[in-house]
Amino acid sequence: MSAARPHRPFDTAVVAARDREDVIVGNEIVRHRLASRLIHWSVALTFFVSVFTGMPIWTPVFGWMASLFGGLTVCRLLHPWAGVAFFLASSVMFLHWVADMRLEPRDREWLGPKAFAYMRYETDDSDVGKYNGGQKLFFWAAGLGAVGLLLSGLLMWFPRAFPRLLLEFSYLIHDVTFILFAVAIVFHIYLGTAAEPGTFGSMVRGTVTREWARLHHARWYREVISGEEDRRR
Amino acid sequence: MSVQQNLEIRRSSASVWGSLSGMRSVPTVSKYIDTTTCIGCKACEAACIEWNDLRRVATEQTGTYQTLPTLHAEYWNLIRFNERDFDGGIVWLMRKDQCMHCDEPGCLAACPAPGAIVQYANGIVDVNPDQCIGCRYCETGCPFDVPRFHQTTGKMAKCTLCVDRVSVGLEPACIKACPTGCLQFGTKDDMVALGARRVDQLKGTGFANAVLYDPKGVHGTGVVTVLAHGDHPEWYDLPRDPHVPLLVKFWKSVLRPLGGIAIFGAVIGAFAHYTKFGPKEVRGADARDRNLPDA
Repeated sequence: MSAARPHRPFDTAVVAARDREDVIVGNEIVRHRLASRLIHWSVALTFFVSVFTGMPIWTPVFGWMASLFGGLTVCRLLHPWAGVAFFLASSVMFLHWVADMRLEPRDREWLGPKAFAYMRYETDDSDVGKYNGGQKLFFWAAGLGAVGLLLSGLLMWFPRAFPRLLLEFSYLIHDVTFILFAVAIVFHIYLGTAAEPGTFGSMVRGTVTREWARLHHARWYREVISGEEDRRR
Repeated sequence: MSVQQNLEIRRSSASVWGSLSGMRSVPTVSKYIDTTTCIGCKACEAACIEWNDLRRVATEQTGTYQTLPTLHAEYWNLIRFNERDFDGGIVWLMRKDQCMHCDEPGCLAACPAPGAIVQYANGIVDVNPDQCIGCRYCETGCPFDVPRFHQTTGKMAKCTLCVDRVSVGLEPACIKACPTGCLQFGTKDDMVALGARRVDQLKGTGFANAVLYDPKGVHGTGVVTVLAHGDHPEWYDLPRDPHVPLLVKFWKSVLRPLGGIAIFGAVIGAFAHYTKFGPKEVRGADARDRNLPDA
């Protein structure tokens, strides 16, 4: 019988992606380390529990969602707490990513026709860093939205503790924020899966291919390459 | 809400249609309250507690004869006592406060739970505890600050206009108990006529501003109230011009459908985009030919 072989990890990229980010492993680049991915999915989970408990209360058109949790009364009980959990997870995410998400002057272009040009695949992405302007704006909008939803939600949760007019406005704020959030999330999910193949892998496995990095985030790709070369020297 | 099957439903919360078949014509009913002949005996309060099996609530001393500062989930009928300066002296005002059973109920408009708040064919606005989810939206919708959240049951509670008595031909418990006749019950038309006669009488005896409080902002109420000082409804803790809050209406009838369209539209838009543009990726020979590190 042969001697026991030393244990070898079956997939070096996945192992590296647990605690390192922006490094090359073979033909892959680690984009999101395990901590980043866990934070992202904790926000996603609490978001969707909030959405599926909130939407049947919002309008009976989505009443069927209530049966996912055992009825409208359960939704009523869960929703505020799910919302608080969503806010806490969002806060952690905000602190985790805020350094990467600093807006540069040119990111402002994404508020205008640039966003539409991007969706037509017509933009020059050769100088895009780890996150593009659209991603950064989404990050800031989501942070702002989380605050808006929490504050307006607290008023709706404890209606007698606040002035009447403020309470009426909080319903408006909660709704408008949710609608914008929901529309943004539809596109977030679409871009992260079907529209840009390989992106979803960066949030589950943690890695992307060199081709992906070069296509979507060319400057980040160059920075990772040069960083790696520095390290090799 | 124990015998609702006897009554057809005119409106139901979070639902498009009620169940009016139109086969029977049911007159709208109303309470009549004459604040000028109320003696503040609180028999109506006691009758309400007894008939509706409400638990006893500890009274609170507010400096007047009033039992509690406001309505309570276990106290649906409250005589409000107020003293106001008038004509060199004071007037001592008593008004029976309870659900006003609006023709256009703000609570029902705000309620998100299908069938939790219903308006019967006879105009009575009632809460169905089976369907109520305790979200407290009705508190925001009500212009009279009537609905109360019951901490133990987690449901909303308020005056039912004794719908269980009315639907079998009895008058509400509070009306039954009133010793002076300042409380009456009947069809809305009869009660308005009674009120008009009483207002004329009051005007003839020096109360030039007497009115029958039946506010048009909520299309009239199922409780009409004779006020000697009709120019000062706030003296009786009544709003001058109550209406369903504009923001509640806007939220329910504009924002809600628009939001639904926006969300469905986003999903359809994403599919349309994929159909037209497809995925953004580099494939095949194009990908292999690239000299990646230097590009």
